[in-house]
Amino acid sequence: MITYIDGPEVKITENDGIFVDVEFFHSKEKLTGLEPRRLFPRSGIDRYVALLDGEGNQVAVIRKMENLPEESRNALTKALDEYYMIPKILRFIKMTEKFKIWMWTAETDRGIITFEIRNHIASVKPLYDGRVLIRDANDNRYEIPDYRKLDKKSKAMLMPKL
Amino acid sequence: MTFMKISSNKPLPEKFSKKYNELFDNEQPLFIVTGDLTLDGAYGESALCFTADCIYAFDDSYPEGYERVMYEDVKEAKVKRMYGNATFDAYLNDGSRKKLIRFTFAAANVADAGADFINGILDGADPAELLDAVEGSFLKQRSFCPKCGRKLPSPDAECINCKGKGRMITKFASYAAPFKKGLIVSMLLSVFTTGMSLIPPYITGYMVDKVLPSREMSMLIRMILILLAVYILQYTVSAFRSYILRITGDKIIIGMKKDIYAKAQYLPMSFYDKTSTGSVINRVNSDTSVIQNFVLRITQDAVVQFFTLVGILIIMICLNWKLTLFSLLPIPLVVIIGRFFGKKIGPRYMRLWRRGSAINTLLTDTIPGIRVIKAFTNEKSAVDKYDAYNDEWLREDNQVAKISSIFPAFMTFLVTCGSLIIWFSGGSFVISGAKGFSTGLLVSFVSYASMFYNPVNFFANFSDTYQNTLASAEKILDILDAEPEHNFGKGNIPDRIKGKIEFKNVNFSFDRSKKVLSNINLTIEQGDIVGIVGTTGSGKSTLINLLMRYYDEYEGDIFIDGKNIKDIDIGYYRNQIGFVQQEPLMFRDTVFNNIAYGSSNPHVEQILAAADIANAHGFISRLPDGYDTLVGERGIGLSGGEKQRLSIARAVMKNPSILIFDEATAAVDSETEHLIQEAIERLIRGRTTLMIAHRLSTLRNANKIVVVDKGEIIECGTPDELMALKGKYYKLIQIQSMGEQLRRKKEEENFE
Repeated sequence: MITYIDGPEVKITENDGIFVDVEFFHSKEKLTGLEPRRLFPRSGIDRYVALLDGEGNQVAVIRKMENLPEESRNALTKALDEYYMIPKILRFIKMTEKFKIWMWTAETDRGIITFEIRNHIASVKPLYDGRVLIRDANDNRYEIPDYRKLDKKSKAMLMPKL
Repeated sequence: MTFMKISSNKPLPEKFSKKYNELFDNEQPLFIVTGDLTLDGAYGESALCFTADCIYAFDDSYPEGYERVMYEDVKEAKVKRMYGNATFDAYLNDGSRKKLIRFTFAAANVADAGADFINGILDGADPAELLDAVEGSFLKQRSFCPKCGRKLPSPDAECINCKGKGRMITKFASYAAPFKKGLIVSMLLSVFTTGMSLIPPYITGYMVDKVLPSREMSMLIRMILILLAVYILQYTVSAFRSYILRITGDKIIIGMKKDIYAKAQYLPMSFYDKTSTGSVINRVNSDTSVIQNFVLRITQDAVVQFFTLVGILIIMICLNWKLTLFSLLPIPLVVIIGRFFGKKIGPRYMRLWRRGSAINTLLTDTIPGIRVIKAFTNEKSAVDKYDAYNDEWLREDNQVAKISSIFPAFMTFLVTCGSLIIWFSGGSFVISGAKGFSTGLLVSFVSYASMFYNPVNFFANFSDTYQNTLASAEKILDILDAEPEHNFGKGNIPDRIKGKIEFKNVNFSFDRSKKVLSNINLTIEQGDIVGIVGTTGSGKSTLINLLMRYYDEYEGDIFIDGKNIKDIDIGYYRNQIGFVQQEPLMFRDTVFNNIAYGSSNPHVEQILAAADIANAHGFISRLPDGYDTLVGERGIGLSGGEKQRLSIARAVMKNPSILIFDEATAAVDSETEHLIQEAIERLIRGRTTLMIAHRLSTLRNANKIVVVDKGEIIECGTPDELMALKGKYYKLIQIQSMGEQLRRKKEEENFE
């Protein structure tokens, strides 16, 4: 059975990078070195966060991060930010193609990056809510939160690939 | 110091290179791993320099710009793969973890090699051998075409992408080439009909200027008869030409379809992991038709229109060069608008294709899964989803229709304006009595001008067809140009395969984000019966997929009888393996043909014997149509156990040296399991056998058990050895024997 954490019954503290320690007030149990993982890393990043032990077994699931006390929430967010990296593309700077291999240069929330797209039919997935998920030749992931909100130049570059 | 000579995935960034030179002038790094993220997760520069006794990590967040870690202080080095990024971690002897650099998956494989190097040093391995392994990883990383960056099957292989720029044209022209005779005949006939079509306007002008004013009836009749003869000839030849064209076009498309289907058979599994079957079907059916139309337009219409354009232009210039210039006035506008339209419509066609492909994918998913839909009373939701997809397609199609309707209408309008210009200027010449300008000439000129704008219109609209074709051509080339399964050992057929299997340092991941198999070392002797056990998702089936050569891009080597499996002819190799899967696939064919699948001209009694060995003959003979029973799609009409026994019979027909059973009895009841088990026991005698099983009782004949967990082999030995070890296998046996007792009890109760 899944143990759910609704919020105030635990205290989450930072451990080492992607790990956190969790203290359950009710049972007075303290678990260290748990690894938080989003159950919905694409569709609901702040809901249903699983806590895994060193063996990869699930200890509990946090229903909503916003219900956690601020200190716990910050510790959890920090660990999740360390683990997950899906740069949000803010604009496209350049797209060049040679022999069907595309090099896309984009400005993301983590800086400017040039990545390789081998086959934009398989690598670029537009979703119906306007989001576009991109996977490059090295299996790195990127996301455009809403392609309709991109600037005109970026849109002109992206549209033929959607 | 020149860092380029040292193994590295990318040149060491200059600022780190300077720093390194300043600090460690005498100490050459052995190799370098260059990262593309800073420690705090932003895109930037970082690097690891590996030396014989320590590692230098460079990142701007270090107070001095670098950090040094001595190997003697390290307990273990590891690459921690996360979501979209990874870190190189050193676990120190004091129990702490030091995160040295961060990088994207672009550098993950070479970082792995770095971690293996340090761990090897710590284990006391030979540094030279370790460096060879590192060099191999870097070489693999660099196996890209220097021109286009495409990954190559081996470091010195030729890039199929860079063979030439006119690849697309050459490719599709090659399908038309065998039918060039028909195309040339058709083209000549086209030129003939074009020439014929240029005659009537001239005769019309002659009649206006000469025949009508002369009031000679016989002359008029003669002209009309000439016109009739021209029309009969023109339209008869035109009908014959259409017939030849149709036949030739059909032959071209069939050739293309055959090729795409054949290519699809030889594509690696990794292609199908990324491409939906609906999309492949769409390419075979719809996109080939688009290409066919285009090839015909290029080879026929374009030629005809070109000749018409040139012919009319010459005649018009001969008739009156001034009037010709007036009639050319709208041409630049037509060209400019044509280009603008091409840019607008191209992306739209691509999106329309994607929507169409999504519909096909939905159909290929749901129609075969109709039983599941009914079982979950999900019909309405399926219909709603299909409607939504179609609506989406319709929305996109509306956009395309809007542009592709407005454009030709606008072009025709421009053309009409052109004829108005001719009427105005030519009419003025006639009214003013300009020298050498008659009413007949004007009538001929207007006729020629209207014919002249047809080819102009054709070439202006050509961009629409071209863009549509490009979208389809790209999809088709995606299959035709995809790298097929590599057959490095083509023609290399050993006398026979005895069945000794060795996995040596095998690592594998479907993508770079997660390793599915790590450091697999396993030796299976000839005739061994090996049980592969482990929890779901532990990597058992992946191990088999590698042995079957469904995936070739793994690190390490797999040997059969001491030969690397990549060096053996792939067709021969797979023929030596009998593979019985958990959900055997039956084709829509007779029971006989389903058993005979893959065997050429088998004798009837061979099939009967195979069915008998597989314990299938009994139930087949009880079927009203016996071996002629038509098995429905995906085996509808047969029970799970029956299908499984047919699939075992199929394996018997191959007479393989190696047998693989992937959960062959997972989905059947005890009695059927017994029948299948009996069949398996008959089949495996004297053959190397690998059996994946959740139900450990089915492995009672195994002389070796391999326990796979989280992609690693954690236990390997005889069943007795593993029971004595009291590890994972022992635990699984304990759990299952309890479960088995309960199951039997329940079955007995139900029986009573």
